[in-house]
Amino acid sequence: MIWTTWRQFRGQALVGVIGLALIAAYFLYLGFDIRESYDNYRAQCASLADCGPQLSQFSADYENTLLYLAALLGLIPGLVGMFWGAPLVARELEAGTQRLVWSQSVTRRHWLAVKLALVGLASMVVAGAASLLLTWAASPVDQVADNRFSTILFGARNIAPIAYAAFAFVLGTLIGLLVRRTVPAMALTILAFVVFQFLVPNVIRPHFLPAEHLTMPMTVQAINQARSLGSITGAPVVKGLTVPDAWVTDVSELLTKTGEPLDEGIFNECFTNAPETGTAEGPYGDTAVCLAKHDVHVEIAYQPTSRYWSFQWLESAFYLVLAGLLAGFGFWRLQRRPS
Amino acid sequence: MPQENSYPALQAEGLTKQYGKRLALADCNLNVPRGRVVGLVGPNGAGKSTLLNLACGLITPTAGMLRVLGSPPAANAAHLAKVGFVAQDTPVYGTFTVADHLRMGAKLNPSWDQSLADRRIAQVGLNLKQKAGRLSGGQRAQLALTIAAAKRPELLIFDEPAAALDPLARDGFMQNLMEFVAELGASAILSSHLLSDVERVCDYLIVLCASRVQVAGEVKDLLAQHHRLVAPRGELDRLPAEVEVIRMQHTDQYSRAVVRVAGALPRTPWSVEPVSLEEMVLSYMTRAAGVSAGLTDAMAGEAVR
Repeated sequence: MIWTTWRQFRGQALVGVIGLALIAAYFLYLGFDIRESYDNYRAQCASLADCGPQLSQFSADYENTLLYLAALLGLIPGLVGMFWGAPLVARELEAGTQRLVWSQSVTRRHWLAVKLALVGLASMVVAGAASLLLTWAASPVDQVADNRFSTILFGARNIAPIAYAAFAFVLGTLIGLLVRRTVPAMALTILAFVVFQFLVPNVIRPHFLPAEHLTMPMTVQAINQARSLGSITGAPVVKGLTVPDAWVTDVSELLTKTGEPLDEGIFNECFTNAPETGTAEGPYGDTAVCLAKHDVHVEIAYQPTSRYWSFQWLESAFYLVLAGLLAGFGFWRLQRRPS
Repeated sequence: MPQENSYPALQAEGLTKQYGKRLALADCNLNVPRGRVVGLVGPNGAGKSTLLNLACGLITPTAGMLRVLGSPPAANAAHLAKVGFVAQDTPVYGTFTVADHLRMGAKLNPSWDQSLADRRIAQVGLNLKQKAGRLSGGQRAQLALTIAAAKRPELLIFDEPAAALDPLARDGFMQNLMEFVAELGASAILSSHLLSDVERVCDYLIVLCASRVQVAGEVKDLLAQHHRLVAPRGELDRLPAEVEVIRMQHTDQYSRAVVRVAGALPRTPWSVEPVSLEEMVLSYMTRAAGVSAGLTDAMAGEAVR
């Protein structure tokens, strides 16, 4: 069964190896480029302590590139699920060749187990190699920016992508088994995987461990640190607040001293019609001054950066368990309703 | 005879398969002994493929019991090794070469007979390096047959093996098939919508029409049990209870009936003629078509002809 699986998979494996080689070559180039750039910036300052501005510039130089690459890396498990997972069973059912292979002296359970194990392992190797190379390449920037716990970068470093690949592959296989047609199964797989990759970081990941909480007074200075203020619904919200050494998972609306949300009327008044002080600075100027006068604060939920590796393991375990459940369902289904 | 050797090749009780609301196979009862070459005939859509796919465990029954060589179909690897199956339109892997297929067969079947496979491939003139996707229908069927036979099964099942072949290829294929069966000492079941495909080779016949088994038995028994009665019109309306009328036809002056009698035919004043296998099968098909379509016997007879 191992030989048969390999014989069927080797064409796709070749494409995977070529793709991985290209990515690896680029990541290696990027890694050395980043290190050279780091050394250049570092040479401009006498000690690490007073190298702040230079290193910020260094980090900013690569910020966008690394965000794009995080998206690219996030795509790899999806492609694996789409091109390796979805056709695995669907192609057989579509061509009717399951009637040939299931008539050999190998049970369907054994057949699926070997296919899942071998191609699944290949999926994890590809995603893992790409992830570890990117982790290495980006490590000087990550160290300076200290943002590897952020929603997007978290899933593009270290071990989490390996579990994503396992999950996406099993998901694709199962969808192929149920849909029985290759192309629709591929489309459904990538769609379902994207939905998962959106839902998990935003809805599930923040709750892997109980969050820490803090109350942040919204002083003029604090308000000016926010990335955005207000929303189209008119609610008194701030976005993009940061806490040192933490991944902020939730920020409440602006709250008054009593803990009630700030009245929307007052918020909008400050927003559109703040009294001019003439001395206000920062991106929100007089609005910030006006809001701060109402003695507002926000409740923040966060996960300390020290939990980064716990979260890597927890997220990996979460995806691997999901993959296991999907595989179990696939075996059950194949036994009960083969074709 | 020891117990483990007494199992039949195929045993079904109340076997039923439903696809949604469509009944593909209804209340099928069979007991086919081993060592036979079984012809499974019936029109397209009668449920032949359903029965054979059930026997190979490719689908599961909705109700009823099915035993193949004494075990549930595809019960385990050892049981799978005992049943060789060539599915309808003989699926093969298009990207595999002929040699790849043989290698797969060797890897997946512990009882694989490489010399038999090599010999047959050479005999039918297949090129080992050729991709299976480029083989002709006849060559593909030969390849599928070789894979199924080289695992040395006890039971070989063929679903419409000759349907896609031209007459010459069909003849060669059936010839090969029978050689295999003889060489392996295996039982075989082959289905066809044409009696002529299987008549030459089978010694056991199952007629399947309208999702039901119409008749099944040893060919020689069936021929002995079926008769054609010819009598002046109307005289065949009251026959003894043990005489089952399969098909009745009337002309202006005469009535002709194909009947089945389990034992000896009771003494009759009418002319009794032997029935050919073809006429017998046609009679059952006509009866089933009449029942399912609600046609009169005579009209259905014309439709089938």
